[in-house]
Amino acid sequence: MPNIIHYRDKCIGCGICYEMMPMVWRMSKKDGKATLLKSELKKKTYVLQIDDSLVEDSKKVAEACPVKIIKVNK
Amino acid sequence: MKKEIELLAPAGSFESLHAAIQAGANAVYFGVEQLNMRAKSINSFALSDLAQIKKLCSKHSIKTYITLNTVMYEHDMQILKTILKEVKKQKIDAVIAADFAVMEYCKQLKIPVQISTQANVSNIESVKFFASFSDAVVLARELTLKQVKQITNEISRKKIKGVSGNLMRIEIFVHGALCMAISGKCYLSLHTQNSSANRGACNQNCRHAYKVIDQETNEELMIDNEYIMSPKDLCTIDILDKIIDSGVVILKIEGRGKGPEYVYTVTKIYKEALKAIEENNYTKEKIEQWKIALEKVYNRGFWEGYYLGRKLGEWTENPGSAATEKKVYVGKGKKYFSKAKIGEFVIETGTIKMGDSLMITSPDFGIHTQNIERLVVNGVDATVAVKGDSITIPIERKITSRDKLYKIVEA
Ligand code: SF4
Repeated sequence: MPNIIHYRDKCIGCGICYEMMPMVWRMSKKDGKATLLKSELKKKTYVLQIDDSLVEDSKKVAEACPVKIIKVNK
Repeated sequence: MKKEIELLAPAGSFESLHAAIQAGANAVYFGVEQLNMRAKSINSFALSDLAQIKKLCSKHSIKTYITLNTVMYEHDMQILKTILKEVKKQKIDAVIAADFAVMEYCKQLKIPVQISTQANVSNIESVKFFASFSDAVVLARELTLKQVKQITNEISRKKIKGVSGNLMRIEIFVHGALCMAISGKCYLSLHTQNSSANRGACNQNCRHAYKVIDQETNEELMIDNEYIMSPKDLCTIDILDKIIDSGVVILKIEGRGKGPEYVYTVTKIYKEALKAIEENNYTKEKIEQWKIALEKVYNRGFWEGYYLGRKLGEWTENPGSAATEKKVYVGKGKKYFSKAKIGEFVIETGTIKMGDSLMITSPDFGIHTQNIERLVVNGVDATVAVKGDSITIPIERKITSRDKLYKIVEA
């Protein structure tokens, strides 16, 4: 199953991921960084299994992230 | 009355912080977490580093200013409060702010504020306006010294006081990168790569070479220089007397994204120049020497910015730095033999040989330079060391595995 990986530490909280895919991302009110909803924490990175249908949009988000901390694996 | 001039150095890492202290800075500025204009830089500090930064600076009687000067969004309010609470707790000397939310929260928490250059303050009325929130203003980088002087004169004449009850202090940039956008308000990077300079993620599009082509005729337009958006770096070492004369009291050096050798060299030289001015000993010969030394570290060529009212047009000819020296990474520290004062390093790339000039950067002491006069490679005296070798050299600094070893070569 494809997944999204988020290296959250380096997030600068620009909010673009949330703008583009609000069903997967939220801006944390607590620390101002993006949160990958329902993801699992694995060694400092957050991983979320996604449906094939979300891969294309997720790739666009990964491309848009200014600090390139989002990876999409098919 | 003699004015105390404050030399303010950038600290983007513990290495640079130590370098600033070593070089004699009176104050340092730095960012934590993501809400500062160098958020993208790899070594930014974490909130938990504040205590250590403050402790170190207090020990050396150096003031601490924290930058919180990005565009602030709704979702940033909580982290902003969290950061400010820690700033208050650690007694950081001031917050450098551009957004009104930051100023307002600081006011509530009684944290001193300095208005960031991002706020583009260019006249006395703006200074007056910000006086009810702050104690110092970093003026817009685009003003001439004449305009700066008018502002400082008016502050004294009208007795414009900040929150602390003291006269407003004026700060300007004296050295480092300039940018083509007014007060750094640039959207190029956001437009092309979705990467907002105003959130500390500038991709430096302006530093690339460009051609201008007429779409109708396909003809390339004649322009003087391909780097049409990349100004040279600001350097005021030869007009520093005029800068002081303009009534500013805080002199800021740009470069939180730059290495400790840059911070050390630039801070040290400006410190020397300030001393020379004070002692009536600010000579042409000295200025020449200082310039040569400044050219050794990162720069895009120098000009004196907008301060003398010259028109814009000093564009760099360099894609990167025009520094006359560069540091080449060769390896890292391993351990220190305190009794013998010997440091051990592992060579990870390239070679070093007797006589080479070395630089060590460290989060514990900043920078250290020395020539290799004695070299022991894998336990035996030698003249060269290559990748994979373990070397020991006599050194006065306590070496740890967090230190990096560089060779200094001509660029
Ligand atoms: S796009 Fe990247 S930097 Fe921006 S909020 Fe999302 S994860 Fe963070």
